[in-house]
Amino acid sequence: MAFALLQPPLRRDHCRASLLRLLRKRPVAGRYANTRTFGNRASSTAANKINAGGGSSSSSSSESKSMNASQCEVNKFSSFASSWWDSRNNPLVGMNPIRVKFIRDVVQEFQFSNKANQHAMQLPLHNKQVLDIGCGGGLLTESLSRLGATRVFGLDASSKVVEVAKSHSFHNSSRMASIGNITNVENADINQSGLTNISYVGGVTVEEFATTWQLESQPNVPHNELFDVITALEVVEHVPNPSSLLHAATSLLKPNGILFVSTINRTIKSYGMAIVAAEYITGKVPLGTHDWNHFFSPKEIESMICKDSNSMRQVSVSGMVLKPPFVNMQWYLSPEDTDINWIGAYQKQH
Amino acid sequence: MSATLQRHTTRQLTRAKTTLKCTSLNSTFASRCNSTSVSNEHYNVVVAGGGAVGSVLARLLLDDNVGGSNNRRPIKIALLEQRPSPPSLNNITSKTDSFPNPRAYALSPTSLSYLGPSVLQSLVKSNRCGIYDSMQIWEHDGPAQLHFVGDDLEEAINDGRLVNLNTYLDRNKDRTKPWLGAVVEDASLVSAIWDELRTDERIDLLDNIQIKSIESPSYDQMGKIEPPPHVNITCCRHDETVALSADLLVAADGANSFVRKCVGNFPMVTRSYGRKAVTCTVEIDTSKGNWGMAQTAFQRFLPHGPIALLPVWNSGDQTDDRIYANVVWSTTPSEADHLLSLSPSEFVSTLNHYLCQGPNVNPSLLPNSVSSNTSILTKVAKEIDSLLRTANTALTIGTWTEAPSRNFFRMPPRSVGVVSPILGFDLTLSHVSSSSVNGNRRGGYTSPRVALVGDAAHTMHPMAGQGLNLGMGDVNVLSNLVKEAIDSGMDVGGTDLFLDRFNDDRMLTGWGTVGGVHSLHEIFGQSGSVPISVTNPQSQGQIESVGGIQGLIGYSRSMGMNIVNGIGPVRRALAEVAAGAVPRGLP
Ligand SMILES: Cc1cc2nc3c(=O)[nH]c(=O)nc-3n(C[C@H](O)[C@H](O)[C@H](O)COP(=O)(O)OP(=O)(O)OC[C@H]3O[C@@H](n4cnc5c(N)ncnc54)[C@H](O)[C@@H]3O)c2cc1C
Repeated sequence: MAFALLQPPLRRDHCRASLLRLLRKRPVAGRYANTRTFGNRASSTAANKINAGGGSSSSSSSESKSMNASQCEVNKFSSFASSWWDSRNNPLVGMNPIRVKFIRDVVQEFQFSNKANQHAMQLPLHNKQVLDIGCGGGLLTESLSRLGATRVFGLDASSKVVEVAKSHSFHNSSRMASIGNITNVENADINQSGLTNISYVGGVTVEEFATTWQLESQPNVPHNELFDVITALEVVEHVPNPSSLLHAATSLLKPNGILFVSTINRTIKSYGMAIVAAEYITGKVPLGTHDWNHFFSPKEIESMICKDSNSMRQVSVSGMVLKPPFVNMQWYLSPEDTDINWIGAYQKQH
Repeated sequence: MSATLQRHTTRQLTRAKTTLKCTSLNSTFASRCNSTSVSNEHYNVVVAGGGAVGSVLARLLLDDNVGGSNNRRPIKIALLEQRPSPPSLNNITSKTDSFPNPRAYALSPTSLSYLGPSVLQSLVKSNRCGIYDSMQIWEHDGPAQLHFVGDDLEEAINDGRLVNLNTYLDRNKDRTKPWLGAVVEDASLVSAIWDELRTDERIDLLDNIQIKSIESPSYDQMGKIEPPPHVNITCCRHDETVALSADLLVAADGANSFVRKCVGNFPMVTRSYGRKAVTCTVEIDTSKGNWGMAQTAFQRFLPHGPIALLPVWNSGDQTDDRIYANVVWSTTPSEADHLLSLSPSEFVSTLNHYLCQGPNVNPSLLPNSVSSNTSILTKVAKEIDSLLRTANTALTIGTWTEAPSRNFFRMPPRSVGVVSPILGFDLTLSHVSSSSVNGNRRGGYTSPRVALVGDAAHTMHPMAGQGLNLGMGDVNVLSNLVKEAIDSGMDVGGTDLFLDRFNDDRMLTGWGTVGGVHSLHEIFGQSGSVPISVTNPQSQGQIESVGGIQGLIGYSRSMGMNIVNGIGPVRRALAEVAAGAVPRGLP
């Protein structure tokens, strides 16, 4: 603790630099470089699917233990990367406002003791260290950064989508920088990744990230090296071992820190809505994005997170419901209706 | 590399296109702006036009109380107004010899709530509101009348679907009846809002400003990995060049919107009603004591359109012995020109003649020519006619389930003099339209980083006072979307998400209202309501030949009005729609 107090900037910079160095050296990174060319080459979804299928059967069994990401899933998202920020093609854009609203509300209720806190009002993530797992093209990552986070790490197993995220943030921040008048972004030094306070890490799973992160700060990780807010939204249904992902995430939380998880419930309704409607009818989601068997109920996720770690407690769960007539991508939070999309918050106790 | 090159070329092309358009439109001002001093400010939202609609939008964007959270949003906006900034409301009200300005609007309770408590309070306190809690609508050639009172809205207020404006006022404890609406002059409204805007440092009020050019992203630049560039607005102010950039530019610059024409992606559908409105302020006769109707809005339908007599300046404590009302008279251009040519005293007697008549008692359904015909068919028709008339009369006089007073016709008060100039303005229906290119929308209420509100997007017949209320709906929806974007750390104009949601909502409501007001006009203002831009000579001939059907429509309309008046739930539903309440059963 004293050490951290004496030299926090040095420690953090050192820590990040060596993390990145380490990640670059790992064989894993090489494999994901392959993934990138692979994704680039496969121009059509169909071709991509066939190749990816073969790839995953040969590699995932051996890889998934060490790295919790299915090649097939990673490729799906890589091929989708260029339209990540297109609200007419990516329903996550339309979902973003209520996901952020849920996060804001929970953080304000459970992390700010003083309800009238000025910063909590204006910048609800003021002074928070944030990790966004499965950041994709950076939709949520950018939002979290704009809401005042000290630092946001965006992590994704697909390095290709992270390139999208980096590029998007870079353009945004360079525009803001050229204006020299940043209105709703806290003035922080611009780093190499783009939007003021974001660091993107592509081609890395959260398990790898956690191991590296904690190795770097052995033996007892000081609290200020850990995260106040960790988000894993629409991720658990895409990895082979969600439990392992959630455990890695939990290990990176500060006491009082909150893990946010969202996914799709496994109900008859979700089968109809999420797969048939989203993928086939409206055509908003590329075919094969979701596998109903990989969906989870709030109870299942709660037990994965809280079962063998009594330091974790579920603090809030809400459904995310699309308003009829469904085409306008307007969502609202409904605590009662968690039948399809839902989001939950899990806090680490002292 | 080639992609970048291509992008540059596209952007230059777009720029060249827009700049060319703007310069040609605005060349008179370009020559006056010589200085090159450039201030380069970025805003979340730049609102062009500080009239009623633009000012209310700015107010709503700064209103942090909406939605229950009290957080002061980090938002930065600019309001551009080509005229000098309006005087403060105190300056207006301190003039003793003044009279109500005829350019005034009947605002629904929902629209009034967008003004916020403090603006509404200052308007009420300074006697610049014409509050009405009852409304009487009747017609010239039938027995029909429709009578709304504030109580019709009680259910909606109790359900929380409609705001109770009385909670906005810290006085008027005795005023417990719900408002049906209030008439507010354009000038007082704008002044009161600017007074409030001046107290917030998150807004730059740029008056005396001329927009010279606008550079907005092209459709191709939306939804890409590289976010669309900001919209750039170059203006001239006090002989200096002012350059602004924004996440979103909102056109609130009125029916001849310069922004709309300059950006150029907005096709409009325009129809002329062949109607003109005459408006002025009259003084009301109080010689018979308190006319008891200082809080009633009257509207009588004549063959060519309605005359409305609306209360103004009735909200203050100081009970002046003079009572004023706002007159809006829609009719044919020739009749309007005739009205405009009258002397004030002639105008007053014409107005009294046409307005101060009750509903007719049971005119015959059938034209005289038919009555003298003795064919069997005619006899049958006559039987049906008398049957219908009996039913209709019963409804008119009958008390049915409601309090009797509702069914009494109340004669509107007589006017004794015109106290303002008599103004005339042409009535056109216009509304933005959209098309689809490769499944993607073009036009409508938005284009990349640009949105239209108020008269810039639509104009309509002032019947039912919906013109400004629709604009108020626009800015309410848009301001909520902007705030949602800011609260979720998103770029409101840089994604199709919020633009599409705004367009979808307003296209539905806008066309619904424009269409609804238009069909009201078609039903009530029967003769000569020919849409000009889609007219061919044959169809005009047809309309002349179906006079009998028009009579039938008039008759069933009378029936409809009385049935509506008699049946509580239907009448209440209509009153709620007019007041802008949230429909029943919506989340
Ligand atoms: C004489 C008259 C009488 C009317 N009477 C009635 C009535 O009795 N009842 C009724 O319901 N409706 C009436 N209307 C229609 C009503 O005024 C409009 O529906 C309403 O004002 C729309 O508000 P707006 O803010 O969209 O446009 P406007 O009120 O037209 O406001 C536009 C504002 O933008 C400013 N502006 C314009 N161009 C630029 C530019 N390039 N740059 C910056 N600023 C610019 C203008 O100065 C103005 O302040 C009347 C209209 C007129 C002209």
